[in-house]
Amino acid sequence: MIRYIFRRLGHAIPVMLILIVFSFVIMHLAPGGPFTRERALPPQVLANINAKYGLDQPLWKQTLDYLWGIVVHFDFGPSFVYTDQSVNSIIAQGFPITLTYGTISGVVAIAVGVTLGAVAAIRHNSWLDSLAVGVSVTAQVLPNFVMAPILVVIFTLWLHWLPGGGFEGLLSPAYWIMPVIALSTSYMASIARMMRSSMLEVMNQNHIRTARAKGLAMRRIVMKHALKPALLPVISYLGPAFVGMITGSVVIDMYFSTGGIGKFFVDSALNRDYAVMMGITVLLGGLTIVFNLLVDILYAWIDPKIRY
Amino acid sequence: MKPNPLLALAVALSFIVPNASAATVAPGDTLAENQDIDLWLLDDIKTLDPQKSASVGDSDAIRQLFEGLYSQAANGDLVPGVATGHEVSADGLIWTFHLRPEATWSNGDPVTAQDFVYAWRRLVDPETASEKASALTDLKVKNAKAVIDGKLPPAELGVRAIDAHTLEVTLDQPIPHGYMIASVTNTNTFPAPRAVIETYGDAWTQPGHLIGNGAYSLVEHRIGQKIVLKRNPRYRDDAHTIVKSVTFHVINEENQALTRFRAGELDVSPIPSGQYPRLKEKYPDQVYKKPRACTYAYVFNLSLKGPEALKDVRVRKGLSLAIDRSIITDNILKGGQIPAYSWTPPSMAGFKAPDIDYSHWSQAERVAKAENLLKQAGYGPDHPLKLTISYNTSEAHKKIAVAIQQFWKAIGVETRLENMEWKVFTDRLHKHEYEVGRYAICAGVDNAIDMLSFFKSTDSLNPTGFASADYDRLMNDVLTATDPNIDYDQAEHTLADKMPIAPIYFYTSNGMVKPDIRGFPVQNVLNFFYVRNMYRVVK
Amino acid sequence: MASLAQALVETGEKGHSPWSDARVRFCKNRQGLVGLALMGFVLAFAIFGSFAAHWPIDKIDFQVMGDVAREGGPSLTNGHFFGTDELGRDLFARTILGIRISLAVGLVGTLIAVIVGTVYGAASGYAGGRVDNIMMRAVDILLSIPSMFVLILLLVMFGHSIILLFIGIGLLSWLDMSRIVRGQTLSLKQREYIEAARASGVPAQTIIRRHIVPNLLSIVIVYATLLVPGMILAESFISFLGLGVQEPLTSLGALISQGAATMNYGTLWQLLFPLFFFIVTLFAFFFLGDGLRDALDPKDR
Repeated sequence: MIRYIFRRLGHAIPVMLILIVFSFVIMHLAPGGPFTRERALPPQVLANINAKYGLDQPLWKQTLDYLWGIVVHFDFGPSFVYTDQSVNSIIAQGFPITLTYGTISGVVAIAVGVTLGAVAAIRHNSWLDSLAVGVSVTAQVLPNFVMAPILVVIFTLWLHWLPGGGFEGLLSPAYWIMPVIALSTSYMASIARMMRSSMLEVMNQNHIRTARAKGLAMRRIVMKHALKPALLPVISYLGPAFVGMITGSVVIDMYFSTGGIGKFFVDSALNRDYAVMMGITVLLGGLTIVFNLLVDILYAWIDPKIRY
Repeated sequence: MKPNPLLALAVALSFIVPNASAATVAPGDTLAENQDIDLWLLDDIKTLDPQKSASVGDSDAIRQLFEGLYSQAANGDLVPGVATGHEVSADGLIWTFHLRPEATWSNGDPVTAQDFVYAWRRLVDPETASEKASALTDLKVKNAKAVIDGKLPPAELGVRAIDAHTLEVTLDQPIPHGYMIASVTNTNTFPAPRAVIETYGDAWTQPGHLIGNGAYSLVEHRIGQKIVLKRNPRYRDDAHTIVKSVTFHVINEENQALTRFRAGELDVSPIPSGQYPRLKEKYPDQVYKKPRACTYAYVFNLSLKGPEALKDVRVRKGLSLAIDRSIITDNILKGGQIPAYSWTPPSMAGFKAPDIDYSHWSQAERVAKAENLLKQAGYGPDHPLKLTISYNTSEAHKKIAVAIQQFWKAIGVETRLENMEWKVFTDRLHKHEYEVGRYAICAGVDNAIDMLSFFKSTDSLNPTGFASADYDRLMNDVLTATDPNIDYDQAEHTLADKMPIAPIYFYTSNGMVKPDIRGFPVQNVLNFFYVRNMYRVVK
Repeated sequence: MASLAQALVETGEKGHSPWSDARVRFCKNRQGLVGLALMGFVLAFAIFGSFAAHWPIDKIDFQVMGDVAREGGPSLTNGHFFGTDELGRDLFARTILGIRISLAVGLVGTLIAVIVGTVYGAASGYAGGRVDNIMMRAVDILLSIPSMFVLILLLVMFGHSIILLFIGIGLLSWLDMSRIVRGQTLSLKQREYIEAARASGVPAQTIIRRHIVPNLLSIVIVYATLLVPGMILAESFISFLGLGVQEPLTSLGALISQGAATMNYGTLWQLLFPLFFFIVTLFAFFFLGDGLRDALDPKDR
């Protein structure tokens, strides 16, 4: 197992390199630069700026300098747009925020989704089942850019219960309740649907049928025998869900002024803020790799049939 | 003209209006207990460095943190800042500013002429690499160009401190009085605290490091969320400042900002495109509207890379005439924007709007004329004119492009709409890789030169590829003209004649302000505001 | 998708094959039938609705454009059955167009994902060993790239075109497909009859064509049906960012994001009509996909 983990982490290095070079090159090939303005800058002024940020160097040299900075100093360089900030400081400020509300959303999505799905499966074909299916399918298809403004109108404008934006950390839930609802709902719904169908499948398997025929208590059957195997598809869904949530955080940051890095990613791509975009790509790519590894380990732990 | 020293003196004296820039509580107003203000920012602050700042949001915050030679009152009139007055030499080349001795930085050090000298040198220094470095070449400050080009050291810039409280600026050629004075209200010309910058380098603008000479000082900056300022007790006129703290909230989505304003979380709010009349009806006491020195236009590509058809002035005129500007302003934007038939916004200081013939015609007349012009140019049903309209991704630009497509369809022009992301669009525009594009320019300085010099061939900044020796001459003459409006008028008529652009509308800025806020400027055409002029009254 | 179900039905006619069992099972599946009915409804609206439209998609109704909130609501008298958008364009015609484009993005994207994913996965699984290992490692690598961001980068770089959107969305989704197909191929390969066929000298090509692909078909169909809604959702996010199809074309995602922006200003129909069709379309695919899975799943229930 340990060897497997190290091997996987070893594979991560070429992946990251490919990712960095690919993004770096595609970014620089895109038309316009960080200092392209509606009212064009005088040539010498632009030249001075390019010299300051090393953008006058050939692309291969920029790429190498960039990699050197990351590997040797762990320095992702300055932001070309937020000139008061370095990429490291933008990530240091934004990432903990994204991580906080993202983790809460993940936990909520899994906890509620699994419970809802399991209950629906156990009460198969009851009104509860239909309700759960209906709710989860609707929730799954409601885009978060529709949900976010609706939440703010209800909870901020009408009820005055929650602040409409900002972020004050884990201990101030008032600020993260709406972001978490907007971010987690569709994943919660997907998990519920997935859980329901896999649970149904498990409940129909012979050993569970036997257990039920023997008159074992339902609660015991579910907890002891059905839950773990039924969770497997949900666990393999966590990887894609993680990537999806990162995408969703863009909308969250835009609507709730949470200050996370999702918005910075899209902005940096649109503003040609090369260094910020690269920094966040590297961070998210690395995270995705680590997360997928964790998911695989979890999977192996739950499913005894898999051995590495 | 030879600038008249007496006139210069008179102008200088007119600034001595005691406390014109402080919040003076109007009779009958009772101050509220709560004097904290929450403002809105579309995008986060990019830099708080006065010399580097280039965006509206940055300047809004910097104007609270720093103070320049002059400031603007709520109505846009100039009022003293760090300077109390100035003189101009008889040849118009030497400007001497007198600084008030009581001005201090927020660490207690006095604000001196050296701080301005340092700041101005820093602005043009290639090391600083400020994108606004050319602000000083626009002002014709001696050696500014050479310093930017790296040919002379920054110390050779034509600015020096005669003593701690006297600043002298030397120019290469005279410029209009108003242009200089308006320029020194811009944040790029604000003083800079040398000691702090040299200690912290690029990090000097971080909370805890930043030292300013404005009415407020920086408390906190949470990127992507908010920036918090509190009153600076060492500000020279702190006695007259009322608002205790200012928070700029970053909200990227205008509708969201409006919802939060309605929920009471913000004191000001933007009005999303097209919603002005509705909000005006619902909240008549909170909606404001003021002219803004910006022009929205469609530019035609006249360069070699442009389509052949657009090189024919009849085609350009026809296209311009066919645009029903009042539908765009009254039915799409609905925020009191003014249909534009010329380039410079009429609201700009001292500018007399030109009288353009087709502005008086009815739309039916314009369309008839447009059809005629296109026919003369050889286009008709059997040989339709085909064009592509490019615009950058935005709801408002999209609406206008869709409408213009329909207007042009009516005169038999087939158009394709091409929506591009901002950077791609701007890049294509400057490389002349487009046919017809949307364009908008806001004046950075409240003076018509700032708008009109845009079409000078020497600056090569305008994306149309329009070049005219006559026009260039006009732009040069205007710097020393007795009545610049004569030259402005000629320039505007040249533009209307050659039609390298189709002007569409002049901006208004509109928005909402809570009814208990006083002193929010609702006339300033550059949208400058100073929180120290504001206060909150009891509801 | 109706044609797909029909195809299933037709194949089933030929005898007592797994397909006819599937058809019987599908017809007993309430959810699947609801999905099929919803799909029929959406398709009928997208195809025949335009005959009922009184306005073309791009024509501005200058009568209503000045005051859409009051004049532009749904009305039978002026022919705007779903009201108008902010510019006074007919929302009925635009919703139909939006459904067509969203469906096209979903279906073409899925087709690309299915073709690339199936070929890649089947090849990898059938080859096995080292080749399989390398091919799957490549998939792992690609999976760790935040794909939506790559798509954003591509759209930014190459401009917003519907072709790029099709290809981009499709190419970003074939990875999971290839993994599923590979897994299925691996397990099929070990079945006795295939081993027998191989032992008796049947060429690999024939084995793949005769035995592997038909057995893969069911899982591919099920997975593809479930892939479509994901793509429609992805397109809506792209449209929200303003990187979607060019005006005057539109998609359900673009209509919804415009409607959501103005929902507080008395023009709620601009959100509700497109959102209704968006939800119904996605419901249809989800229900259909679930129904097909239940029907085609080789496991005994």
